[in-house]
Amino acid sequence: MRAYVRAVSAVSRLCGVVALLLLVAAILVVCEMIFVRYVLNGSTVWQTEFVTYAIVAATFLGSPSVLLERGHVGVDLLPDALDGSAKTVLRLVAGILGLLFCIALAWSGWLYFHEALTRGWKTATVWALPLWIPLLPMPFGIGLLCLQYVAELMKLTERDTGGVAA
Amino acid sequence: ADVTLKASHQWPGGKGDVRDEMVQIIAREVANANVGLEIQVYPGASLYKPAEQWGALTKGQLDISAFPLDYASGRVPQFSATLMPGLVRNHDRAKRMNDSDFMADIKKLIEDNDVIVVADAWLAGAFASKKQCITDPASMEGQVTRAAGPAFEQMLAAAGASIASMPSSEIYSGMQTGVLDAANTSSGSFVSYRLFEQVKCLTAPGANALWFMYEPILMSKRSWDDLTKEQQDAIMAAGQKAEDFFFEEAKKIDQEMIDTFKENGVEIVEMSGDDYQAWLEIAQGSSYKNFEENVPGGKELIEKALAVE
Amino acid sequence: MSPLGMGGIVLVVLLVLLSTGMPIAFALGLVSIAALILTEGFDSIEIVGETFFGGLASFALVSIPMFIVMGAAIASSPAGKDLYEALDRWLNRVPGGLVLSNIGACSIFAALSGSSPATCAAIGKMGIPEMVQRGYPKSIAAGSIAAGGTLGILIPPSVTMIVYGIATETSIGRLFIAGLLPGLLLTVLFMIWTIIACKYAGYSFEKMATRYSFRERFQALPRVLPFLLIIVGILYVLYGGVATPSEAAGAGALFCIVLVAVIYRIWKPGPLLSVFRSSLKESVMIMMIIGASELFAFTLSSLFVTQSIAGWIGDLDVNRWVLMGLINVFLLVAGFFLPPVAVILMTAPILLPIITQAGFDPYWFAVILTINMEIGLITPPVGLNLYVINGIAPDISLQTILRGSLPYVLCMVLGIVILSIFPDIVTWLPNLLMGPGG
Ligand code: NA
Ligand code: NA
Repeated sequence: MRAYVRAVSAVSRLCGVVALLLLVAAILVVCEMIFVRYVLNGSTVWQTEFVTYAIVAATFLGSPSVLLERGHVGVDLLPDALDGSAKTVLRLVAGILGLLFCIALAWSGWLYFHEALTRGWKTATVWALPLWIPLLPMPFGIGLLCLQYVAELMKLTERDTGGVAA
Repeated sequence: ADVTLKASHQWPGGKGDVRDEMVQIIAREVANANVGLEIQVYPGASLYKPAEQWGALTKGQLDISAFPLDYASGRVPQFSATLMPGLVRNHDRAKRMNDSDFMADIKKLIEDNDVIVVADAWLAGAFASKKQCITDPASMEGQVTRAAGPAFEQMLAAAGASIASMPSSEIYSGMQTGVLDAANTSSGSFVSYRLFEQVKCLTAPGANALWFMYEPILMSKRSWDDLTKEQQDAIMAAGQKAEDFFFEEAKKIDQEMIDTFKENGVEIVEMSGDDYQAWLEIAQGSSYKNFEENVPGGKELIEKALAVE
Repeated sequence: MSPLGMGGIVLVVLLVLLSTGMPIAFALGLVSIAALILTEGFDSIEIVGETFFGGLASFALVSIPMFIVMGAAIASSPAGKDLYEALDRWLNRVPGGLVLSNIGACSIFAALSGSSPATCAAIGKMGIPEMVQRGYPKSIAAGSIAAGGTLGILIPPSVTMIVYGIATETSIGRLFIAGLLPGLLLTVLFMIWTIIACKYAGYSFEKMATRYSFRERFQALPRVLPFLLIIVGILYVLYGGVATPSEAAGAGALFCIVLVAVIYRIWKPGPLLSVFRSSLKESVMIMMIIGASELFAFTLSSLFVTQSIAGWIGDLDVNRWVLMGLINVFLLVAGFFLPPVAVILMTAPILLPIITQAGFDPYWFAVILTINMEIGLITPPVGLNLYVINGIAPDISLQTILRGSLPYVLCMVLGIVILSIFPDIVTWLPNLLMGPGG
């Protein structure tokens, strides 16, 4: 159980680093785009799409590590008002419900990705990027988010049964 | 009603937009036919985003849509021919195209994707600039422009324009701040985005329009198959009415644009036959060439389109 | 069942889900998927992925993480401290000079940051301890920064204005300009209240004021220069024909990182990494809410709930100001529970047609909506700024922060009233700079 938590958390952090690099790349490409158009008076073909999809990918790939760091904001009014086992139970319920959504999104994202891959869909632009490339981060990132959610649930139960402190 | 169908499009509802009117006509006519069928209209992209309507139609999640077919060209690359510069030229020729071999091929592809055409519609568009009037390709050189669709981007870039992509809602501020010198979009958008406040010169569609877009009323084959023969007939009859209505209105949209821009002191020009031919040559070396090289059957589609009288 | 009835059920289920403390984005998504499957069949799960993805894949949205990076870069440097210190040297003879300097610094910082929590953290990290040390009441120190931080989404650039612009197809550039004067108005209102509050609390301004010579005052100025430089730079990029708002965000982010690196010599990868990490965390949170809101909006529209609510409000035969009052109450309540981005995405497309129908300007309404969202940021249970203050000043209790913030809520309500009486405060500048209409 602990090995699972450690392994998944490590992968999540790694994806977080990839998301970070995508964010940096997006900033640099936007600046390059302004330079090409404003200074060189040239055309920009791929930049808009690259930047858009880089940010989308950063969102999906960054999502598991943000869950790890409790960055997805929620309304903590009721859980904060409870203590002891009632609080743990509510946290577990919230976690399972969240996991349910993530599974549905990952599954649906997989279907979309798979269809785009097998049918050879492309983006409707001059760049004509194969659509599966920007779609891949959705099933992958959200799939990992599911695994991270399971890890968070494990931590909750362990803590409650007097296992490892967080 | 026994069956309720969902119809979606991206234009404002109830404000007189011709595509919204077409859908409303179909909804009205079908209701009046008393065949146990009701159509609920979701205007203004209030249900699906414009580009997402195609996937929903093919899967039967959405029943009816007024849909610019080029939006699906990432999935069916041949559809870019329906927003290809210089293939249509004017409204009367657009009407003749509907029954051509070219459109037979396009409609075959639509049906292969489990979608059928209920009514045809070709919308014209214009060019406008705050620098100088856009007529022949040389007039485009050095202008930073926003084009609608990749085929136009390729042609304009080949003519020496530099392309800036942005959503049509940002054209106004793009021009205002000077990011853009010129823009190219549909006649209706030119008016609704108040671009007459920014530009110096408008190139109206007239007899030699480069910009036409196919925006038919489509229906999901799955939803269609679930209907009775009586209901199907009612939809097709309503579609014919909508199509007739559209043809009457199509030229009025262009005229409304010209009138509005004139009132606001914008110079109005049209392309001459020579300008048009010069652009076709540029297109032959850029957008047509790309299309023929990258799209299966692309060469034949272009030939069939150009062959229409 | 009637659409309004279904809407009621969806709302109740959503509130129950939210009360468990699960992430807002996932609660919105879960209730949407459940409603779709129940009404349209299991196949409708196929469109979930495409809708969620489609909600995020927009070039206009890329400016959100970038404007966040821009603010975070500046916040990582001692720039915030320099800014209010310089202001303090000039304002120290004015009653409440230090706290006014902090509010002023928030207002200037808001012009560099698209997000409110970032503005809050940047100024508050050093500003609150300094105020407390100089004897200001803790509640005023915390409250003024919590409120001042909310200016981050009113004074351009603004993450929420970007979201509003996308949801309503209004010009983001114009929205930005529209927020400027109302932002300054709120700044002034906050300052006036602060002086009154300090007097009321029996704070002796005379005793605490440090005296600065004019030499010392001018010495502080060069350190403020980078800020003015960045603000002028961004304004030039935005309104000088260089780039669209989305592109300006990227340029601003790079500009700020380089500037912070050069001026404050923050070269080491450590601090820079933490800038990107905190930015990524905030923007992932916002973007997931945006994707889920897209799904939620689709569901409500598919159930015909949105249209029925709009029709219902439209049929209300009331005076337009009564209508505006009702809408404000609704937004206020929504803001208590939900973060700005979620509220705007869920309500703007429904409200905008009603608003324009009633003869209100969409840009004016954007400002009113934003001020409502600012109130939401400093009211419980979901008030991001409150938690940020709690995080950077752990020795001040949440209750004290709340007590200090409440009067500023009233300042914002007063601001809404003033803008309703004088709508020109919003529309004058955009009309002047970008031409009428739009
Ligand atoms: Na701001
Ligand atoms: Na709140």
